[in-house]
Amino acid sequence: MRGALTLGLLLFAATLAAVMLGPVRLSPALLWQGLSTGEGPGALVLGTIRGPRVMTALGAGAVLGLSGALFQALFRNPLAAPDIMGFTSGAGLTIIAAIALGLSLPMPLLAAGGGLIAAALVVLLSQRRGHATPPLTMILVGLGIGFIASALSSFLLTLLPHTQAAEAQRWLTGSLAARDWGQVAQVWLVGALLAALALAQLRRLAALELGEDLAAGLGLRVGRARMALAATAVLLAAAGVAVAGPVPFIALMSGPLGARLTGARRLPGRMLAAGGTGALVLVVADLAARAALPGIQLPVGVMTGLLGAPYLLWRLSREMEKGEL
Amino acid sequence: MMRLFGLLALLALALVLALSVGARPVTPAVALEALRAYDPTNPDHVTMMAIRLPRLAAGLIAGGALGIAGTVMQVMTRNPLADPGLLGVNSGAAFALLIGATVFGAADEASVALLTFPGAALASALVFVLGGGLRGDVGPVRLTLAGAALNALLLSLVTAIVLVRQDTLDMFRFWVAGSLTQAASRPLAEMALIAAAGGLFALAVAPQIEALSLGSALSRGLGTKPRRVQAAALAVVTLCTGAAVAVAGPIAFLGLMVPPLARIVAGHSLRRELVASALLGAALLLFADTLGRVVMAPSEVRAGVMTALIGGPVFLWVARRLRPGATA
Repeated sequence: MRGALTLGLLLFAATLAAVMLGPVRLSPALLWQGLSTGEGPGALVLGTIRGPRVMTALGAGAVLGLSGALFQALFRNPLAAPDIMGFTSGAGLTIIAAIALGLSLPMPLLAAGGGLIAAALVVLLSQRRGHATPPLTMILVGLGIGFIASALSSFLLTLLPHTQAAEAQRWLTGSLAARDWGQVAQVWLVGALLAALALAQLRRLAALELGEDLAAGLGLRVGRARMALAATAVLLAAAGVAVAGPVPFIALMSGPLGARLTGARRLPGRMLAAGGTGALVLVVADLAARAALPGIQLPVGVMTGLLGAPYLLWRLSREMEKGEL
Repeated sequence: MMRLFGLLALLALALVLALSVGARPVTPAVALEALRAYDPTNPDHVTMMAIRLPRLAAGLIAGGALGIAGTVMQVMTRNPLADPGLLGVNSGAAFALLIGATVFGAADEASVALLTFPGAALASALVFVLGGGLRGDVGPVRLTLAGAALNALLLSLVTAIVLVRQDTLDMFRFWVAGSLTQAASRPLAEMALIAAAGGLFALAVAPQIEALSLGSALSRGLGTKPRRVQAAALAVVTLCTGAAVAVAGPIAFLGLMVPPLARIVAGHSLRRELVASALLGAALLLFADTLGRVVMAPSEVRAGVMTALIGGPVFLWVARRLRPGATA
């Protein structure tokens, strides 16, 4: 309970800071004036620039964090995450492909399609007849799918004219610049729907966490339950990628960080903590990316890459000490 | 012996294709003529001398060097997924290069190119330590993930630099994209020497590396000093990868594909495997480069993208066959 409060306070403080800080600094008075009367510089900055940006960050971070935590629980492995396993690269690839081919399909559909195709490929390619698939094989196959999707993306990038290529490159890095309220509505509505869907399946996930045999003994159709959960998690990741690009490492970090931050042990608590932590990390990373270098707006993906890579390395050494790898 | 001839024939085929295929097709006869009696007013001859030949040389250097580096990495870590590109060594070299170019400017390309070596050395040492190399067992998952993390970190730094300094964007596109198109402006002769030195050193220490790959206990029994051999192997990887990145930029997956093929050709003798790797690596990179000129003509697909598209499925194939835990 105290942990949830801490996370809530941190989220509130981070959101406030993200809204107030920037090229135009908003004092609390200006902010209050903007919020209460809808006028003045506070309202302008909030309504057109920082409001949508911060709200998109919160939504995208939450769905990515939740997606990662679902995968980690499903695979019972802290290294399982949609960005490690190539799903976010797949989602990014379909979007770049659509830009290159001049198709104007809605981004969320493209991202979901690409993510699902990548996930299906990972499942198909890591299976071997007559053997249970070890999670580590699946992670390795996912890494490979991610490599191929990134190579294809960079190949498509070379086909684009210069300005479009620069835009697409920024997009592929993961960026929250120039978001609008439409994207906010999109990620929050779709995200809320999918999060509800995920929470509705938590009982099954809890059974799966006990191990396949026990879950089957409890009357669960293991294969089907796992597929439904994995599909939900992929769609959650895609909802985040659709508005923020394939931001790296948020999904990987949020679950374990959230559990540590809140002390949550039970599954629903861990999932909520992961979503909240994802939102927190993405908002803070975006703020840091905006502030890191004066006059230059780094895409947020650069910052999460800088934060996330050392985390992954630390995680690896931890797993190593436990002898799990 | 027959197999060696087969390899040489393959390389010869790659050479001929690399020289003759492209936006301006050049027959082998004209190519020979350009070598013997160069005529600067003949566009075919100019294509040959100014573009195709440097490109061919860069392909030979980078391909051969990456083949050797991949084989040494795979044998030493007992990890069939090891590759200088996937483990971040390429990115380390390319990153150092970009830093050098940003700080010193592009004026002195040859000396900037030398920066690839400290970059590659740092990255290979780092990924080896982070992947658990000091404990003597480098698991494939762990090492591959450590490489992926290092790659992500360096890529973020590179992106940040490129966004801050717009003038490095071209530098980035030419140096950091794996491709042979910039070959004419690269220090080919110097890097050929360094790559050759790396290859010879690899041949010299091959028996010790082989002994180490049997496991540290057994190799100690055979009188091998593990730390020293590991350092020697890292030196080989650094020399070869640094030279490759300096002429062709970071090219991934070549070092992944070549060693298993080389083993089929050469059998289980590391020295023969290394020779086969160098020949196969050079041939494969030239094929990839030539293919990249053809598939989307008139525009070109970078050689690094081609090797990734061919090598990605190979990675998947190897990953599927691995039994995690079996290869400690």
